[in-house]
Amino acid sequence: MDAKDILGLPKNLPIQEKKSKPPKESQRKPDGISREVYALTGGLAPLMPAIDVNQLKRKAQSENEKITWQWLPFTNSARKDNLQLYHWVRVVNGNPPTGDYSFAKCNKSADIIKYTDEEYEKYLTDPAWTKEETDQLFDLCERFNLRFIAVADRFPSTKTVEELKDRYYSVSRAILIARAPSPGDVSAHPLVKDVYNATQDTERKRALNLLLSHTKHQERRDVEASANLVLPVLSDTGTLGADKPITTADTVNPSTNSEFPSSTTTPVSETASVVASLRMLRVYLRTYSLEQMVQAASSSAGLRTIKRVEQTLQDLGVNLKPKVPTKAVCAEHLELRKEILTLLNLQKQLQYKEAEGSSLRDGTFTETPGTPPKQQSVRAVDLDRTFTPDSLSTGGERFGKREQKRKGPGRLAEAPSSPAQSKRPRKYKASD
Amino acid sequence: MYGGDEVSAIVVDLGSHTCKAGYAGEDAPKAVFPSVLGSIDEMEVDDADNSDKNSGTASDSKSKSKRKLYVGTQDLGFRRDHMEVLSPVKDGIVADWDMVENIWDHALRKCLLIDPKEHPMLLAEPCSNTQQQREKTAEIMFEKYQVPALFLAKNAVLTSFASGRATSLVVDCGGGSTTVAPVHDGYVLQKAVATSPIGGDFLTDCLLKSLEDKGISIKPRYAFKRKEIRAGEFQIVDLDFPNTTESYKLYSQRVIVGDIKECVCRAPDTPYDDTSYSNIPMTPYELPDGQTIEIGADRFKIPDVLFNPSLVQTIPGMESSVETASSARGLPQMVIESINKCDVDIRRELFSGILLSGGTASMQQLKERLEKDLLEETPQAARVKVLSSGNATERRFSVWIGGSILASLGSFQQMWFSKSEFEEHGASYIQRKCP
Repeated sequence: MDAKDILGLPKNLPIQEKKSKPPKESQRKPDGISREVYALTGGLAPLMPAIDVNQLKRKAQSENEKITWQWLPFTNSARKDNLQLYHWVRVVNGNPPTGDYSFAKCNKSADIIKYTDEEYEKYLTDPAWTKEETDQLFDLCERFNLRFIAVADRFPSTKTVEELKDRYYSVSRAILIARAPSPGDVSAHPLVKDVYNATQDTERKRALNLLLSHTKHQERRDVEASANLVLPVLSDTGTLGADKPITTADTVNPSTNSEFPSSTTTPVSETASVVASLRMLRVYLRTYSLEQMVQAASSSAGLRTIKRVEQTLQDLGVNLKPKVPTKAVCAEHLELRKEILTLLNLQKQLQYKEAEGSSLRDGTFTETPGTPPKQQSVRAVDLDRTFTPDSLSTGGERFGKREQKRKGPGRLAEAPSSPAQSKRPRKYKASD
Repeated sequence: MYGGDEVSAIVVDLGSHTCKAGYAGEDAPKAVFPSVLGSIDEMEVDDADNSDKNSGTASDSKSKSKRKLYVGTQDLGFRRDHMEVLSPVKDGIVADWDMVENIWDHALRKCLLIDPKEHPMLLAEPCSNTQQQREKTAEIMFEKYQVPALFLAKNAVLTSFASGRATSLVVDCGGGSTTVAPVHDGYVLQKAVATSPIGGDFLTDCLLKSLEDKGISIKPRYAFKRKEIRAGEFQIVDLDFPNTTESYKLYSQRVIVGDIKECVCRAPDTPYDDTSYSNIPMTPYELPDGQTIEIGADRFKIPDVLFNPSLVQTIPGMESSVETASSARGLPQMVIESINKCDVDIRRELFSGILLSGGTASMQQLKERLEKDLLEETPQAARVKVLSSGNATERRFSVWIGGSILASLGSFQQMWFSKSEFEEHGASYIQRKCP
């Protein structure tokens, strides 16, 4: 009602609301079904009938067939004896169904090769296995259908599963090769083609055993131990290139940062700390590490500078993310980014200098000769740390066009700088 | 294709506490009765000692004294003079085949009302059954009952099938003992089976001794009569039957205490110690003779014996069982021991399919407590999952239900050990036929 007032629509006549009620009530009481059952369907009749009754499969029941169910004996071809059990059978017109027991086809077994005694003497003797043991092994394999774990369980002497498998497969293989008229005939047989490697299997099981025997206590201790682990510094040049020389600190572990000599002038390079944090992960993608490096490197720059860097990259025809991120490519990419950043910084410095120079030429104020160098050094440091790209003079030729396109806080082209507050030249320029 | 084919087989599971029998294809056994017998020696009526000796004779010797055996809940429930209560099974081995035959007779002819000649028989056997016992079973079945076909299946395999798995670790908390058996692809791995003598009956005894120690005497049902003096009010009159045997009295008391245990006991969430459970609110329970007793810390102490058998030492009156209990291990330790004895490849599968079965497994919070204990001891790489059917009937009869499923499968019909095979190859052939 209020919404309609706001929108200025005419108010509805109250009669219309009452009209909507009677049609609903007629839907609620259909014939034939009780109200509650009808509500189960959601209160609405289905648009299409769910099941088409005509399409339901009709069992072929012609009138002249008489169907009874009888309790009859049956034989099972999967059995070797003639046991006859009884079951219910659908009898049509007095004729019981013919054919084998329908479940007889479920009787599948693996083909075990049987060897004769002479074959054993000729090909299959082995120092670790007696004939009786080999016979027992083959008998069990047939009974348990090559389930080697059950075979190992029932084998009278203690032999491991790998030993049993090894013996079985080597014997079968030897027999196959010996019986074949020529080696080429059986070379495609899976037993001949793939050889069972017992040592590899043993090794694999040993490793799995180790993995599975790590109880929770041990794992907790492992985690604690690795957290306290001291990592060696990456002083080799295999690291993704840092432009600043890494200090001779021995450890780069974040937890031991306090050990760093406080007199270090150059701060620890960001890349080194990123690398240290990546080391904790043990396994990581190079693209992920590259992103981290890039972020670290451009943390000293602002958002606008990052965009300019990326713009430059695109102008040069370089992808923002290298297509093939190998170690060398990533290193080069990072180098390039850093160089572009340095370039931009230097250009900015140049602009400021020119702006200052022009303002000085205008002669609004006098400066002590000592301040420019100080300004310069301060500015250089400032640029590294607090780079705020909010105000830039349009002195730079290269970026002239781009600045006009960019929107942002006001451009102060020839605004006089106040060297007295030289540490924050940009801020004052903006306020002007 | 529907995999079932009904051949009207009979499934019988003779456990240490109850015997279950019924038709294959159904979802619960029709005949469930205690697997102990009452025996009255008919030679000596006055001398109780003699009857003791005679009914305990070995199965080989032909007992000259005729013995009347009573089987079934009704017969056992009626008190008779000089009736001893005996169990045919001692430590999992059948000691008296005559008694076993009586139990089978009762199940087949009186409860199920069938003629064994017409029905193949599926029997459930304990996982560590000896070759001799199996042959004897086959002999009795074929020669006495003339069954057309027989199969002996291991309890653990049937439980595994009842939950639809071919590979699992079955923890059977039964009446007489607790067994942990791994099943792989339908075969029990014998070398990794672990058993412990602590079962439901042991816990019942602990509870009985503990209550007696507190001064509560459990009156067996036959020892009193309730007379209605006024409308709604009853008076207890003690009846004295001097000729009742000790074993019968103990049996009747155990029935009552077993009921208390089922109603009141629950597995504690943390290992039991006296201090933390000293202020538990008491639960009332009314005995058949009208006496109301309060049970407090025992509610949690008794089930914890399963997890920590050395607790038995703190229960007064159980000194005789301290040696058996001290050699037993707790349930989680048995599970881990059993799994570690198996091949490395299947351990993961076993960990994620631990099945609980048996009457004692219906104890409240047992599953949660076992899972919690196992999670602490097992490696991170393995995912531990303890499963038990939600339905109490299914849990208790899971072995029987597995047998019912197995005997009505179409593809099982080729595996029966038939009478003709028995006649041709002898009873020892059962080892090949029933792995």
